[in-house]
Amino acid sequence: MKRRTVLIGLDGATFSVLDPLMNQGIMPFLKEFLVTGARAPLRSVIPPLTPPAWTSLVTGRSPGNHGIFDFFLKEETGPHIRFATSADVRCETFWSMASREGCHITVLNFPLMLPPPKVNGNVVAGGWMTPRQLRLGCRPEGLYDQIKAIPGFDPHRVVLNLAHEEKALEGCNLSEYDEWIRMHIERERQWFNIASFLLRDEPSELTGILFDGVDKIQHLCWRFLCPDASQGPLSMREEEIRRECLLYFSKLDEMLAGIVTLAGPDATIFIASDHGFGAQTETFFVNAWLAREGYLSWSDRERPRESENAVLGMRQIARHVYMLDWDKTRAYAATPSSNGIHVVPANGSSTAGVPTGEYAAFREELIQALCGVTSPGTGERVVKQIWTREEAFAGPFMRSAPDLTLCLRDGGLVSILDSDEPVKPRKMPSGTHRPEGVFMARGPGIHRGLCADELSILDVAPTLLYSLDLPIPAEMEGRVSEDLFLRTHLENHPPKFQTLRDSARTPKKGIGDNLLFDAEAEAEMAARLRAWGYIE
Amino acid sequence: MTEVTRGSVLETVLSILSKMDEDGELEVEITPETWLVADMGLESIDVVVLGTTVQEHYHMSMPFAEFLAEVGQRETRDIQVREFVDFVVRHLNGMG
Repeated sequence: MKRRTVLIGLDGATFSVLDPLMNQGIMPFLKEFLVTGARAPLRSVIPPLTPPAWTSLVTGRSPGNHGIFDFFLKEETGPHIRFATSADVRCETFWSMASREGCHITVLNFPLMLPPPKVNGNVVAGGWMTPRQLRLGCRPEGLYDQIKAIPGFDPHRVVLNLAHEEKALEGCNLSEYDEWIRMHIERERQWFNIASFLLRDEPSELTGILFDGVDKIQHLCWRFLCPDASQGPLSMREEEIRRECLLYFSKLDEMLAGIVTLAGPDATIFIASDHGFGAQTETFFVNAWLAREGYLSWSDRERPRESENAVLGMRQIARHVYMLDWDKTRAYAATPSSNGIHVVPANGSSTAGVPTGEYAAFREELIQALCGVTSPGTGERVVKQIWTREEAFAGPFMRSAPDLTLCLRDGGLVSILDSDEPVKPRKMPSGTHRPEGVFMARGPGIHRGLCADELSILDVAPTLLYSLDLPIPAEMEGRVSEDLFLRTHLENHPPKFQTLRDSARTPKKGIGDNLLFDAEAEAEMAARLRAWGYIE
Repeated sequence: MTEVTRGSVLETVLSILSKMDEDGELEVEITPETWLVADMGLESIDVVVLGTTVQEHYHMSMPFAEFLAEVGQRETRDIQVREFVDFVVRHLNGMG
């Protein structure tokens, strides 16, 4: 067997949470790992969102080149959006590259792996799964039956229990947090058991496992994990919840130790997150603002409004098709997750929309107007940065991306709901994504105790391929993170580069090229997004 | 392209549904008359995945979203296996 490499994904992990946990003795394994390994901040993509970020990590390509911008994909024409699948990833991943080069691989719980790709090894798709889909999400045939035989295996605990998640969707009163957090501890344990089984029974040259509870818990419990001193001390009950959160990280640390031990002393271990985390303190109701400015018009149907249990509008994703008056709407936000605004192009069947010749001026007008959105309390600008699609998503699939992508001053997600005021402070801060995630590495030839400069998430794929002694495609946009490696190691093992074969150079054609998305199914998916903490 | 028979599509769809329920709670045989939601207890996302899996099998995209949106407008928001199969057959044979 060639040198073994393990990639452990920690969705949403951030050093601002992990460092105190390591220093407080909650994550002793991780602390020791970094004493003998290297660490660096890891800069995510725009937007710092799970589907585009993990896809960039495993392909070494930016979203405009791999075609994933959100949990959903918008049709190039028309307002419909559909759920993104593995068929929509238009670049080769390092899973398939390694498989093609003869490596045996194991991939567990990574998003956008359904339908599971054909590789030399084992795949259990992760992300958006129901228990029924687990068998379909396993490759090869028969893998699911092997997993089923693992003691304690429960498909309902491997995937997210929607009924349980609904409690979090409805605002999750303080008495329900414990069960919710322990559910995530159990989920991680289920995935750990699967990983352990395969590491023992069928070890691979490349193994990947993703723990996504970090993201979910940080979304819902940020104010307990990173309490804001200005909000006063935590109550007794809140301290109890905080201890449950710390229990999650403590158990996760034990699982990291278990995986690294099973990988063996000569394995190269990478630990990475797709983005970081921070607090969201206010909500920008972008569609409400667009309506107020005359860019958007709600239809005669009941318009979706913010409420006690719906702040960002995840349940309304895809319903914009029915909620908006398309004869009068020129710009809208389809999903909170993308923080994106779409410009409606004019077409022959409607008087609305922006003609091609007016697109640039209209978009610039929109940008200037968004720059003028201020917080009612402080008068400060709410939209910190705005990217055009050319700036954020340059590449062959740019036209599937939002026309504008916003970065709010608190890094938060927009709301697509209607509201009486376009900007409102949140009653309680919640966790939201930040661009700066984590990268950690340990293994043969890697510096010990190194704190390196920030890496790009695009650097992970070439670095991982290098660790496997595999050639790095010239088309990858990242670089091998040579700072991580000892000079002697680099001299003895110089990186190898190649040009992709012609067949691999052409963007993969997705089966779903012309897929439309069902609004009801989208609503179900939106419920999951809410449950996983993208909403209150 | 050779015309695809209804029987072969039915076999494919039943095979996929059987896999989805292989470890599940359905105690009766899945037949063309089986209702995906009422009988099998599928969630909307399961039906979406069913569509995705069928498309992958045949290497052809089909307008499932439109189809399911029409179902969503019905009083009974459910589909029998035979109707799902008929939809697939129509699109495989270019009779959208």
